[in-house]
Amino acid sequence: MLTLYDVSAGYNGVDVVRHISLCVRNNENLSIIGPNGCGKTTLLKAVASLLPFSGDIEIDGRPVVKMKHKEVSRRIAMLCQMSGVYFSYSVFDTVMMGRYLHIKDKLLGLPSERDKALVMECLEAVDLVAEADRPITTLSGGQMQRVFLARTLAQEPEIILLDEPTNHLDLKYQIELIEYLKAWAVHGERAVIGVLHDINLAMKLSDNIMVMKDGEICVQGKVSDVITGSLLENVYDIDVAQYMRESLHKWDCLKQ
Amino acid sequence: MKTKTIVTICVALVVLVLGVAFGSVWVPPGEIINVVRNKIFGYDIAGIVDSSSVAIVWTLRLPRALLAFLVGAALSCSGAVMQSILRNPLASSYTLGVSSGASLGACIVILYNITIPFLSVMTLPIVGFVFGFGTILLSIAFASRIDGQMQNNTIILTGMVFSLFVNAITTLLSAMSREHLQRLLFWQMGSFSARGWAPVYILAPIVVIGTFLVLHYNRELDMMTFGEDQAKTMGVDIKRVKWILLIVGAALTGCAIAFVGVIGFVDLVAPHVVRRLFGSSHKRVIPMSMLFGGAFMVICDLAARTVVSPSELPVGAVTAIIGAPFFAYIYFRKKEVV
Repeated sequence: MLTLYDVSAGYNGVDVVRHISLCVRNNENLSIIGPNGCGKTTLLKAVASLLPFSGDIEIDGRPVVKMKHKEVSRRIAMLCQMSGVYFSYSVFDTVMMGRYLHIKDKLLGLPSERDKALVMECLEAVDLVAEADRPITTLSGGQMQRVFLARTLAQEPEIILLDEPTNHLDLKYQIELIEYLKAWAVHGERAVIGVLHDINLAMKLSDNIMVMKDGEICVQGKVSDVITGSLLENVYDIDVAQYMRESLHKWDCLKQ
Repeated sequence: MKTKTIVTICVALVVLVLGVAFGSVWVPPGEIINVVRNKIFGYDIAGIVDSSSVAIVWTLRLPRALLAFLVGAALSCSGAVMQSILRNPLASSYTLGVSSGASLGACIVILYNITIPFLSVMTLPIVGFVFGFGTILLSIAFASRIDGQMQNNTIILTGMVFSLFVNAITTLLSAMSREHLQRLLFWQMGSFSARGWAPVYILAPIVVIGTFLVLHYNRELDMMTFGEDQAKTMGVDIKRVKWILLIVGAALTGCAIAFVGVIGFVDLVAPHVVRRLFGSSHKRVIPMSMLFGGAFMVICDLAARTVVSPSELPVGAVTAIIGAPFFAYIYFRKKEVV
C-alpha cells in the first residue's frame, strides 16, 4: 500500500506540487489527470524518489526515506516519458536491464535462466517477442514505448508509476496496455498509478481518479462520484463534456 | 559476434607486431618474437638475431609501440565512459578540461624550466597529470556544488568554462615567454618519441586497474545511456557511479597524456566505430574500444615516424588525418549488425 502524507516537491527549491495526500492499496489502480504543467510528472518523480520532497511517502507503513535506494527501486518502478535514445541495444538486452537488481551474479552480471524467461514473458506481454533481437533504434515510437514498458514490468515491482504510458501507441495497443496493466495489478496484488491525458483511458485504467490543477489536488475519489462536466471545464478551461458529446455524435453519424 | 571479437584481437596483435617491425630498418616478426622470448623467458637467441636488431626492438620500438597502444587504449576507454555517462556522443575528458589543465602544467614546467629534484625528467609528465587531473576534479566538484543532482549539462558546461579559463591562462603565459613556445607546441601536439620503458611500466597497471573498474560498472553504463531518471528507477546509484566513472575516466586520460602530450580524436572515434561494429553493450564496447584505439594509435605513430623519416610528424595531427576519413567511412556507411 502506497501512502502520501502532505507531500510537496519541485525543482530548485520551488514546489511544483503542494500538500498531496493519497492512498493506493494493492489491487488498486489510480489515474491522475490534469492540464499540462499541473505537476503530475513531478508527483510521480517524488514518489519514485527521483526528486527530493517534503512530507511523508510510505510503502506498507515504512517511509521511503528510511529505505535504501535499491529497496525503493525494487518496490517502485517508473515508466518515464520517452527521451532520446543515443546508443542502440537489442530489445532483449534493453528489457534485461530491468532485471538489474535481481541478477544474482554481481561480478559478471550474467542473467539466470529465470531472468531470461521473465524477460521473454514481459516481451510477450507487449507483443514484441518477434523483435527480441532487433536494435531499439530501428523501432517505431510505439514499439519503443512498449519495450520500455516491458523493462518496467521486468523489474517485478509492487507499484508501477506510468508517465503517459500510451504516448506513441496506436488505439489497439493503448487499450491492450490498459487491460494488461489492470490484470497485472489484480493478479499480483500490486498497484498502478498512471498519468494519462486521455480521460477515457484514465477511466478505463481505474475506478479511482485524481484530478490535479496548479500543483494541488482538485478532487480525488471514484470516477462516478467526482467527475462532472463543470469540474472538467474548470480544470481544462474548455467544455470537455460538450466536446465528448460532439465526438459521440460524429460516431453516431458514421456508417456502421 | 565471437568471430568479430577474435578478428579484432588478432588484428590488434598483428598491428602491434608490425608497429615494431616497420621503420628505417625492417625487423622480421619472427625476430621480434625471439627478442621478446629472450628478454622475458631467457630464450637463447645467439646467432639467430643480431645485437642491433635486439637493441632496435627492445630499446626503441617495442616500448614505443606498447606505449602508443596503452595510450590509445586508455584514451578510448575514457572516451567511451565519458560519452555514456554524459549521454553526449561528443563528450570526452578533454571536454571537461583535462587537456587544458595538463597543457597549463606543461606550460609552467617548460616556460620556467622547473625540475623537481626527486622527479627529475618525470617532472613534466607528473606536473601535466596533476594539473590535468586537478582541473577535471575542480570542474566536477564545482558542478556538484552548483547542481546537487550533477546533471550532465551542468557537468559539460562547467567543464567547458574551466577548460576555456585554463586555456586562457596558458595562452597568457605562452605569450609572455615566446622563446619556449616551440617546445610547448610540440608537447601539445603529442609524440611517443624516446620515452623508453618507464612510462610503459607506469601506465600498464593504471590501464589494467582502470579497465577492470570500468568493466565492473558496465551494466550501470548501459542503463545510464537511457538517462539518469530511468537508470535511477532501475536501481542505479547514479551519483556514486557517476563520480567513480568520471574520476576513472579522467585518471586514464590524465595518465596517458602526461607522458606523450595531448592526443585527441581517438577517444571520440574508437567508441563510435566499435558501437557500429559490436553494438552498444559496454561489456563489449570497453574492451573492443581499447583494442581498436590501441591498434589505431600504433598505426598513427608508425605513420608519424615513417612518412617523413628521419623527421617525425606530430602524432596528434596524424590521428585526425588518418582517423577522420576512416571514421566517416565506418560511421556513415550502412549499418550492418548491432
